[in-house]
Amino acid sequence: MTNTKLLAAAAVILAGTTVTAAAEEYTITVWAGGTNPTENYRLDNIELAADLLEREAAINGEELTINIEKQSWSGWDDFRQAVTLAGEAGNGPNILVAGHDDIPTWSKSGLLRPIGDYIYTDTYPLSQIYPNLWDVVTYNGQIWGVPQDAEARVMYWSIPGLKAIGWSDAEIADLPAKVKSGEFTLYDMLDAVKKMQDEGAVAAGDGFAPRPSNGGDYWQFYQSFGGEIADEESGKLVLDKQAMQDFYTFFADAVDDGVVSSTYLGLPWDTWHGSVVEGKYGVWHGGSWHYAQWTRQNGMTDFFDKVQYTLIPAGNENGRANSITHPLAYLLTAQGSEDEAEIAAELIARASSPELNAFHAVKSGHLAIGEDEVNVPLYANDRWLSEASAFLPDANATPNNVNVGIFQNDMFAGLESVWTGTATPEQAVNDLEAKLHADVGDDLIVR
Amino acid sequence: MTKNFAMFPIIVLLTLLTAPIIIMYVYLVLDTFSNTPPGALFPTSFTLEHWRFLIDPSIAGNVWIPTLNSLIFASCCTVIVLTISSTGGYALSRLNMPFRSFFLGGLMVLHAFPAVTLLIGIFLILNFSGLYNTLTGIVLVKAALTLPLGVWIMKGFYDAVPWEIEMAGVQDGASRFTVWRRLVLPQIRPGFVALGAFAFLEGWGEYLLPRVLAPSADFRVLSVFLATLSAPDTANYDFSLFQAVGLFYTLPVLLLFLIFQNRLMNIFNGGTKG
Amino acid sequence: MRTRTSLLGLAFLTPTLVLLILFFIMPVVFTAYFSFTNMSTSTGIGRGEYMLTDTLLRRLKSEGLSQADVDAVSRETFTVDAAGHDTAIAAGVDKRFADDILDNFAGQSFSDARDFERALRGLRSAPRSPRAVKEAARAFTHSALNTRYRTPDELSAVLTAVAPEVEEETRDLIVHRSYTGHVLTTDNFRKLASAPDTLQLIGNTVLYVGLTLAFFNVSLGLFLAILMFYLPKRASGIFSALWLLPRITPMVLYAVLWKWFTWDSGFLPTLAAHLGLPSFNYMKGSIVTAWITMICSNGFVGASFGMLLFSGALRSIPIQQIWASEVDGANRWQQVRRIILPQMRWPILFVTSYQTLSLIASYELIWLTTNGGPGSSTTVWSLSAFKTALFNYTGNLQYGLGAAMALVLVVIGLVASIFYLRLFKFNELLTKPRIEF
Repeated sequence: MTNTKLLAAAAVILAGTTVTAAAEEYTITVWAGGTNPTENYRLDNIELAADLLEREAAINGEELTINIEKQSWSGWDDFRQAVTLAGEAGNGPNILVAGHDDIPTWSKSGLLRPIGDYIYTDTYPLSQIYPNLWDVVTYNGQIWGVPQDAEARVMYWSIPGLKAIGWSDAEIADLPAKVKSGEFTLYDMLDAVKKMQDEGAVAAGDGFAPRPSNGGDYWQFYQSFGGEIADEESGKLVLDKQAMQDFYTFFADAVDDGVVSSTYLGLPWDTWHGSVVEGKYGVWHGGSWHYAQWTRQNGMTDFFDKVQYTLIPAGNENGRANSITHPLAYLLTAQGSEDEAEIAAELIARASSPELNAFHAVKSGHLAIGEDEVNVPLYANDRWLSEASAFLPDANATPNNVNVGIFQNDMFAGLESVWTGTATPEQAVNDLEAKLHADVGDDLIVR
Repeated sequence: MTKNFAMFPIIVLLTLLTAPIIIMYVYLVLDTFSNTPPGALFPTSFTLEHWRFLIDPSIAGNVWIPTLNSLIFASCCTVIVLTISSTGGYALSRLNMPFRSFFLGGLMVLHAFPAVTLLIGIFLILNFSGLYNTLTGIVLVKAALTLPLGVWIMKGFYDAVPWEIEMAGVQDGASRFTVWRRLVLPQIRPGFVALGAFAFLEGWGEYLLPRVLAPSADFRVLSVFLATLSAPDTANYDFSLFQAVGLFYTLPVLLLFLIFQNRLMNIFNGGTKG
Repeated sequence: MRTRTSLLGLAFLTPTLVLLILFFIMPVVFTAYFSFTNMSTSTGIGRGEYMLTDTLLRRLKSEGLSQADVDAVSRETFTVDAAGHDTAIAAGVDKRFADDILDNFAGQSFSDARDFERALRGLRSAPRSPRAVKEAARAFTHSALNTRYRTPDELSAVLTAVAPEVEEETRDLIVHRSYTGHVLTTDNFRKLASAPDTLQLIGNTVLYVGLTLAFFNVSLGLFLAILMFYLPKRASGIFSALWLLPRITPMVLYAVLWKWFTWDSGFLPTLAAHLGLPSFNYMKGSIVTAWITMICSNGFVGASFGMLLFSGALRSIPIQQIWASEVDGANRWQQVRRIILPQMRWPILFVTSYQTLSLIASYELIWLTTNGGPGSSTTVWSLSAFKTALFNYTGNLQYGLGAAMALVLVVIGLVASIFYLRLFKFNELLTKPRIEF
């Protein structure tokens, strides 16, 4: 810790000091992962914040120049690799936009600074951020990030498809409530899409279109059958064999019913988005943010006439209707000097103001991070965001555990083997148990 | 060859075997100048719009910066490989020294050795030396990985130089070093040209090393630039644009290949012909 | 004179040796070392530190650490006294602020960090920067939690001060377990031996290498070489150039050409749709077609290697033999079977062995095309090693496990290439220097 430097910086920022500081220049680098063209405000807001900070400094009679260098990755694997390796080599960025689930691994390896040491969470605009989002970015009692967006993951239903199998408008409108109460289950959904295929409303194999690649979405199905990802008390991961097997069986049944093909996984995303927009699928699930992609990039205009949306239904009486939220956060890295870290933290705080965050939320289809943001006109006028916000009370985030990523990879590998028919659900669960024991050792409770 | 064989069936058979390659490359060129409606096999209209990226950076970003980076990367690799191979190859071919056969054997092992498996270890070296995420770092790595083949090829060319040249030089009282510089080097110019072209092609096409070991945007090479253009998780990527950039990227390779075709043939044999 | 020669030789060889040692030999050594560690994203690559966290304490509690001990070591106290004041000054806290803290809060105690921080922020001399306030607060805080210590002794000393009642043995255990870096272990190999998917990976690799070699690098290469042998020079030049195209085309573009050829809106499926055949994404749509795509795309690159090598070997067959057989009225097939194939034994063996090594380690094209799918049906060993160590969705890079997988390939590569050296008698390639002084 170079406290002298820190003090110098603190002294400069001190209000009312008569010391005229020398012109200061900083270069702050920002990297964002999993960022599509609609999500440019993750980076641009930091740029806007830099402008604000420069103006504030000018008003206080100081000369401050902040250059922002930004880079984004559309995928996660590339981004996480680059962050990890650059962090090890000591030439990474100052600010990261990443999933909250990266916090455990990166904080343990010393890649991050706890941002809680650089900000007051009880001053505006951070004070209006929802408390449960602060919980998501807290690990080991320290705050490691500032929530950047929120989301829900949604089950989407084709309204023309449902009408083709005889559903009335009232029944369709009633579906979200029925799903939420657990009355309408995943297996009811399978029956419905099978019927759609039989009626010819959708092509064979297009009835059900799950996420085509590995992702946090699949935890939802584990939860639908009563699975729990981690143990509240000890923080260990939980493998609920019955729930896992029921979840695997559900997808095996979906393949058997012919509503999704056995080689569906690995479908290119652009094909998937294209099919959604063309109305080819009966039921599909994705993120609330996909709405922005469909309407902004693919020019889908009649979303609300064509699509009904609900929580992910319960699978059986053990589980519940649920949704996973995967908030991203601004993280402060261990790179650079303390002064730079302080400036970076200031930028993050400014970028989290309701107005700036609303740019991101509305353009990319993400949900508000704070209570004031809901009142920003741009946000308040967006029908989709207010509809999707209704899912948040039933949404949970994956727990912050170092091994949760490995668990997810192994779980997905097991799902793949069941899906492609190379293993029965029972075998896959036993394989998963063996693999998890090997991979995470005693950080696991098997039920 | 002999006349009592009909050539026509052979040509037909070869054309059939080669069909996938011919189709892929013909369409690569064709698609960049035309539009094909979805579901159709043949293009219907001629257009130059896919080539606009050359002058309009709003389409795919500035393509000239990655081009320059690729040029720098491939040229540096070429220079390093040529310089080091020319001395190393001579030492192994002509100079008496201890462990010579051991060195040669080791070189052969490395030449056959799957270097990509070492990526993690290589990252560590770059990390310790502060060369991770620098152009210098990936140039050195790429050069080192091309080197076993380079040395082996140069050794082959030196082997073919008649001993009498050196004998004459040494008898005139010149040192071995002078003999090498003045008399031997001019003899192996064809080797230089072939290996130079080869090393350049290798550097120009390299993708994995820059992507993993130098991921920052400051010196994105063309291969990585091209790969980001085709990111499949964006909802609407333009395939014809991708092909146009791809063709632009491949043109230098094709030109080099056409110019040095015969010389390169030897090298693509894996340098086993010495 | 003799020494001078060998000195010149060494001087000439030095640059080569330096580069190869740095980027070839050293990585091999590193790979071997890593494979016996549990190194991953969370341990980091360098030396670890010692840090006590809630997560660790919860873990230790589930392993039998008593609640009393847990409470003791996670205790946080905030005492404003002269000692803390001096610490703060030494740490560079503004003197006026430090004096103010001592004057206002001496002897008071606070229940948690947030309370204490709030109290400090209320002081008139408090700096505006959160960082500076928290820095000052830290000087008066006694806690062992969430601080990274370079050595075990540092953490041990803090723990002793915070929780003097904890047994030394327990304290040592806690300190030992709080290490964040990597440790030596043979777990990686145990994992590989017991993991259910290891066998599938080996099977995939053997199948992929075997089929690609059998169909393309050897058979097709030989077939092409023989066909070209009978063609006039110009025609064979054109065809060999065409077959070299895949080899010289940059990998990224080549992979995408295959996508264009096999994806659902691409050439082959469109053609199949016109002909009324099943049309889907052949590259990823079914296991069989994914395998065919993988083998063909790699095979088209590999065939040219065999083709060139066999062409060279064919040219070295004395042409008189061919002419003589024609005088005897042999047809083409008989020529191939009686004269050409028997002389191809060594070249075939060479291509097979040499290309086996290249194929075992080649994952770049598979990664860019099928990416190991559908499911993991086209995932080969080297691709899996790459993904484990450096490239996966959840970003927990397991360097140790990946290195262990790479080490298996390294050992195979070394053993095989040394064996080939003996087999093909490369020593004969050594011409002795003829200038002796």
